[in-house]
Amino acid sequence: MLNLVDEVQVGLLALLLISGSAAKLWRASGAGSPGHATGPTAMFPVRLRRSAATALCATEFALGAGLLLTAGSAGARGPAVVVRAATFVLFCTAVGALHELRGHRPDAGCGCFGELSRTPVSWRAITRAALLCVAALAAIGAPPVRMPRSAGQAWVTLAVAAAELALLAVLSPEVGQLMIRLGHAEPCELREVPVDRTLSALRSSAPWRRYRQFLVTTVPADIWREGCWRFVVFPGVLASRQVEVVFAVYLASRHGPVRVGVLDTGADLDGSWSGWSGSSPDPLELSTHV
Amino acid sequence: MDISTSYHHATQTGSSAWHARRALLRAAVFETRDREFWSHRPAVARSVATGIITEVREDAIVLDGPGGIELFSFSPATVTWMGAVTAPSALRVGDQVIIRHRSLDTAAPARRLAERIWARIGRVTGTIIAVQGREFLVDAGRADGSPRHVVVAAASARQVQVRFPRLAPGYLLDVIGTRRGRQLLAVIPATAQPPYRAGHAPPPPMVNGPLPASISGTAVWHEPEDEPPGLLGLGYPALDPADGKPPADGGMGCVRLPYLSLGSTVRLRNECADRSAVLPVTSNGALARQFCDRCVECGTSPKGRLADLTMAAFVELGGNLEDGCFNATMTLAG
Repeated sequence: MLNLVDEVQVGLLALLLISGSAAKLWRASGAGSPGHATGPTAMFPVRLRRSAATALCATEFALGAGLLLTAGSAGARGPAVVVRAATFVLFCTAVGALHELRGHRPDAGCGCFGELSRTPVSWRAITRAALLCVAALAAIGAPPVRMPRSAGQAWVTLAVAAAELALLAVLSPEVGQLMIRLGHAEPCELREVPVDRTLSALRSSAPWRRYRQFLVTTVPADIWREGCWRFVVFPGVLASRQVEVVFAVYLASRHGPVRVGVLDTGADLDGSWSGWSGSSPDPLELSTHV
Repeated sequence: MDISTSYHHATQTGSSAWHARRALLRAAVFETRDREFWSHRPAVARSVATGIITEVREDAIVLDGPGGIELFSFSPATVTWMGAVTAPSALRVGDQVIIRHRSLDTAAPARRLAERIWARIGRVTGTIIAVQGREFLVDAGRADGSPRHVVVAAASARQVQVRFPRLAPGYLLDVIGTRRGRQLLAVIPATAQPPYRAGHAPPPPMVNGPLPASISGTAVWHEPEDEPPGLLGLGYPALDPADGKPPADGGMGCVRLPYLSLGSTVRLRNECADRSAVLPVTSNGALARQFCDRCVECGTSPKGRLADLTMAAFVELGGNLEDGCFNATMTLAG
């Protein structure tokens, strides 16, 4: 049973190291600014932060890959012991570094999983690192990892792994951040919405079907956006007067409401113009208001 | 502002009539309350004049500007800035100036008193691309891609260095000074340098729920470049990407602003001077998005630049150009 627990540590540690490395790489590819270092690299001078972050990311990946490569039949040999011992040293260093970071930069996150790790370092993160340190120590003496010999053994392996992951999740502020991000929906004012989608929504709307007959052309004369609304303007003719028909399309969803207004440009069809009279009452019923 | 009687003028993008036209089109769609709120037409420059000095008298200057030849009197209270506060007698024919003024006599509004005169004032905001001693080439986002040449005045070098510790390529610079031909002699750091490199501003916080109707932050100003000198408007840091403009550096900036388009109008309030105006978005404020600074002219503003005003708009709203910023609140159309 104890050997089983030790074997589980190898896989878990490899998973955590590789995912942590990937998360850091993802963050670095997006921001890449040493001025925004999180985690222990925040304690380095600015000019060394990029190098330190790169070294940490590479080390984690190398150790995670090393754990996987030496997990099998090579598990009892020197390289496996070296990799597992290095992992132990890494997590011991992490415990000390997080403790120092908490003291010197109380606002900094641990940076363990890139963008998800912006929560200031607390006892949870330090405890997690300490537990991983213990796990790495247990892994040093683990025998080569093999497939479970029976269904019962497989269930025990899964149960141990699940229990350990649950414990790590409780100690991980990143889980909460991930849940927040998964449940987050940007306000419509901040969403990028292609113009084509707006025009498509407009052309499938009731106000479009009602006013289409008054338009001179279906090519918009003007399009602009204000927050959750995109305005689309077409030249038109209404009651022998040149007008501009303006549609306002709500951008919050694909089939959001569409409102319409008509602006009398003040010109008769014969081209004579009596001055810009501004908006005039629309003889047609306006579309449904929001 | 009078809406042009020419419909064709009203359809020319960028004109004041074009901005007013969009406001009317919006009002044609939405309810009366919105129409009344936005019925105040975009600001008119009632207290700002720009132009070139054609004559310097003992108690007045003559200005040749967009409004023709104008005369502005001095008083002992008139403040003249040309790299530093100086006397009006330091002004010279040919100096480009911007003046905040008021009428001396309500019965004779043509007689105007200069309250504050800024001569040859300039500002460079952008990314350092080359450094040699106190000289810098700065990418200020010009349309033609040409860099700005900045020389830090010897007397101001220490002050600038304190606020901008990383005067190296790839880092941001924002300085105010006097223009000398194509060069800016920098005398004032406009802000504190961000710790991050240009284009790597911190990600903004997530926003849940609808954005508030009013957003507070800081308002700054920029030189006219290709814009008319007396233009009232602002560079907006969050133009709709679908407008087809090339994506600018700086990510989303550190203050979440709703997407608007060129020509959209906003109401901007100077919290320090207690003045507000409706201003059109006249340019892309991409550079403003790169800064996450605060303005401390009257209290401490929230982080982030809301608007990069034209010089005339900044002065019209009561800001002093040498201060570089004012605490601002922006209200958007509902």
